[in-house]
Amino acid sequence: MSKQAMSQDKLQESVPLTMKDDSYLLEVNNLKMYFAITRGIMARLGGYTKAADDVNFFIRKGETLGLVGESGCGKTTVGRCIARAYEPTAGEILYRRADDTIVDLARLEGQILRQYRKDIRMIFQDPYSSLNPRMTVFEIVSEALKVNHMGTQSEMEDRVAYLLKRVGLRPEYMQRYPHAFSGGERQRVGVARALVTNPSLIICDEAVSALDVSIRAQILNLLEELQSDFDLTYLFISHDLSVIRHICDRVVVMYVGKIVEVASGLDLYMDPKHPYTEALMSAVPISNPRLRNKESRIRLSGEIADPSNPPSGCYFHPRCQYAKDICSQEAPPLRELPGNRFVACHFAEELDLRGATME
Amino acid sequence: MTQKQPQHTRDPREETKSLEIEVASQWKLMWWKFRKHKLAMASAVIIIIAYAIAIFAEFVAPVASSTYSKDYVNAPPQWPHFFQPDKPILYVNALKFETDPNSFKKTWTIDEETEIPLGFFVKGDPYKLWGLIPSDIHLIGTQDPQAPFYMMGSDALGRDVFSRIVYGSRVSLTVCLVGTTLSLFLGMILGGLAGFMGGWVDNVIQRLSEILTTIPTLPLWLALAAVVPLDWSPLRVYFMITLILALIQWVWLARVVRGKLMALREEDFITAAILDGVGQGRLIGRHMIPSMLSHIIASFTLNIPGMILAETALSFLGVGLRPPVVSWGVMLQETQRVGAIANYPWMMFPGLAVFIMVVTLNFLGDGLRDAADPYQ
Amino acid sequence: MSELLLEVKDLKIHFFTDEGVVKAVEGIDLKIERGKTVCLVGESGCGKSVTSLSFLQIIHAPGKIVSGEMVYYRQTPDGTTWEIDLAKLNPKGRKIREIRGAEISMIFQEPMTSLSPLYTVGNQIIEAIRLHSKATKDEARKQAIEMLHRVGIPNPDRLIDEYPFTLSGGMRQRVMIAMALSCNPTMLIADEPTTALDVTTQAEILDLIQELQQQYGMAVLFITHDLGIVAEVADDVAVMYLGKIVERGSVDDIFNAPKHPYTQALLHSIPKVAMKREDLEPIQGMVPSPFRRPNGCSFHPRCSKAMDICSQIVPAVTAIDDDHTVQCLLYEDVASRAEVERAQS
Repeated sequence: MSKQAMSQDKLQESVPLTMKDDSYLLEVNNLKMYFAITRGIMARLGGYTKAADDVNFFIRKGETLGLVGESGCGKTTVGRCIARAYEPTAGEILYRRADDTIVDLARLEGQILRQYRKDIRMIFQDPYSSLNPRMTVFEIVSEALKVNHMGTQSEMEDRVAYLLKRVGLRPEYMQRYPHAFSGGERQRVGVARALVTNPSLIICDEAVSALDVSIRAQILNLLEELQSDFDLTYLFISHDLSVIRHICDRVVVMYVGKIVEVASGLDLYMDPKHPYTEALMSAVPISNPRLRNKESRIRLSGEIADPSNPPSGCYFHPRCQYAKDICSQEAPPLRELPGNRFVACHFAEELDLRGATME
Repeated sequence: MTQKQPQHTRDPREETKSLEIEVASQWKLMWWKFRKHKLAMASAVIIIIAYAIAIFAEFVAPVASSTYSKDYVNAPPQWPHFFQPDKPILYVNALKFETDPNSFKKTWTIDEETEIPLGFFVKGDPYKLWGLIPSDIHLIGTQDPQAPFYMMGSDALGRDVFSRIVYGSRVSLTVCLVGTTLSLFLGMILGGLAGFMGGWVDNVIQRLSEILTTIPTLPLWLALAAVVPLDWSPLRVYFMITLILALIQWVWLARVVRGKLMALREEDFITAAILDGVGQGRLIGRHMIPSMLSHIIASFTLNIPGMILAETALSFLGVGLRPPVVSWGVMLQETQRVGAIANYPWMMFPGLAVFIMVVTLNFLGDGLRDAADPYQ
Repeated sequence: MSELLLEVKDLKIHFFTDEGVVKAVEGIDLKIERGKTVCLVGESGCGKSVTSLSFLQIIHAPGKIVSGEMVYYRQTPDGTTWEIDLAKLNPKGRKIREIRGAEISMIFQEPMTSLSPLYTVGNQIIEAIRLHSKATKDEARKQAIEMLHRVGIPNPDRLIDEYPFTLSGGMRQRVMIAMALSCNPTMLIADEPTTALDVTTQAEILDLIQELQQQYGMAVLFITHDLGIVAEVADDVAVMYLGKIVERGSVDDIFNAPKHPYTQALLHSIPKVAMKREDLEPIQGMVPSPFRRPNGCSFHPRCSKAMDICSQIVPAVTAIDDDHTVQCLLYEDVASRAEVERAQS
């Protein structure tokens, strides 16, 4: 293990890493995250859950990339791999530093990894469990500054006060504990915590899913505002297609650990190329009672595949109404289509799929 | 943009009213929650008094634990009387001997005629408080040092049961603390290792604790205690006994620590701390321990009664502490003699002390456990 | 004109906590007609779930129905209709138990909270059937399999002997629905039944509920915070805010001619699939703590159309037309109301 790591380090030194395009901030290549399944008293290995399997995508600097899919599709795993809360099983996570040099986050460890944790931050789904109830707001927000020795006590106080104000909280609230705040306010604290180290990329993991409708809109607007003010790039993970449509420039759709489609928001919603995307779009409730026509809804048969025991070929084929023989035999690769979009379907060109219902 | 800056203004009156709770730390919140648990509060007061008595045993006890009198063997309790008209303010009735004319059996009766005046802060047996401060002042006692005063009766050697309970509390109430602390130490380390490392470490520790819990405790204690050599000093025996108790009790605390750690590892705020770049040491010390401390304190308290009972049981069976050490268990051992309970029921008072401590510690532990997580 | 099934008049539910009284439901009126779907919509803490629990008399302590009526028009097989005031029934009495689960049944957000992990799916449905009918065990089992089949569960005769935890979230919710419908209820209360589900599964469950509603002719009281779902399933909508129904009307009225500023703001604050960016107008501020209910109209601190008077007067229910009412001073003739009050005093 250590030998291998050493040789990789040498490799890294000798051949500088490159990305496919200069506009990319992050490029994920062949990312794999397998979780071992253990069984019985002696913890025997019982196979792997392939939470993320051969995932490839990139994030351009300054854009918001959406990562959408149903529960168990691996979107959260991918987010946590990039944040390096997990150690990926295989693959590259290339990250462009401020000085334009490129590092592979997947290979970093310990002290070196720590300095990148300042650049890539995360906002969590649950505003309750993501804030330590036993620490004050100041302690929570400033923790990253403190452990990285970024400033004196009064500098940290100024920074936290500034950020609290920026996210719409009163700086005087700094000494309060999380229990004094509502869910929406707590999420603002979470946003301030993410911003405190002046990051370039923020991973929003279902950041608005646990909030009430009116609060959700507040936080979405706040995130958009902050993006332009602080030059942020977002990886926005959500299962909510309308939220994704609202905030994202481009969208990645995942199904059972694999990417099935990548396209700009408009293309994906108006003109999906993968049958699974089509099914997702048709399942979104339409907030106009006059447009009710239930016949047009695509019903998926069967259950979502088990990532520890996926079907052969295309993982979606048992539920796909367009499936042909080849779908059960050969896994379709993610390939590029005209219009700067990617899809993993054998018949992407032939199929005429329906987009989301317009109002 | 049409969006207004979200305002978080509140009524200034509400502001001051609610400010206290908003800046309250976990301990303050816990205290507020604990305060509502009346039974636990009352128990806490009793426990504090009990430990105060143990600390100031020499001062609280009317006589020394070894003071005996061959004239007053197996004397019944003399209840203090208060505020009787035309009589001393605080007194006990004297005891007198009566011989049954038929069976020639000697019995004690209360002499209603004679009063022995009592007093607070009276001179009595000289002692050295904590072996340091010499004194002969006692909290309560007879004003005439020679007069008999057995609030809870006397034993077969004419020793005051009350004084001995007071002295015994010193051993009985500390042996459980030392024992639980030891088991907490073991439990924290082993449970911490299991919870933090997981994997095979967890597996080994889990299996070990399972094996320990399957062994019936009493025979195990007996076996272990029987190994303690008879010629050891009382102090060494004392520590040996606490060690034996701790070796078995750690399992429960280890489980609490492990379970809590396992749950914490999944918490988002721990992931957030890792992503902040927090190192292992700070992660445990600053983020994890504070989150489990209150739970550990509650479990600690709930473990003490078991220790008290264990010490009492061992001493009662004669394999724990031995005379001349005074503990509640040692005292109860004397009730094993046939007829003791029938003829001299006051010999059971140490049992009452055990009962009160076990019950109150349980209530206190319940109260602490309920207050341990004030964020629900 | 369809018949009335349930009529709620001035219902008040308070929670008597250590910190004070929480007025969870503060005088609401609601009508549910046979075979119709009514949606109760609102943000968390608005009292929508408590309202639905009160119909079954299953409010937990320290909550209590303080006043009001819930008239249930019960139809006997011979066609006569009885009026029963559910609010007056003893929560542990025989009468409410006859109704609960049989005539009015309920499904919840997380099916596992109402399915026992210790019994098989079949056991639980069979018990529900036998509790309210005289069916024998075999008959009940046949009925249970038939129900499971109807809610779209594949291989119902095999699945009936499975334990709930072996099922996926969507399948569990189907089992819950099978159980709830096993006694052919006149009303189904669905409390956020799809919130824990994925979007494709949600669509299936919504379709299923609507299909079954047509088959069985039951009324559905649908509780949700998701306006998209409301637009898909509702006939009538009641929008709740801090324990009050601020607006009530047909689904078309609510979505296409909303009157209350809260309803309007809610509709503007949801991102829509077909919407361009930057169109989101959030409601400012947040739902106040239930202990600090604002004076006057409880929405006024967050309302963009608030007038001075809104902090002083509690708006009354004002009719816009036959079945569209709103509780807002913008639509109320405040002057005439003051006169009436003066005349009364």
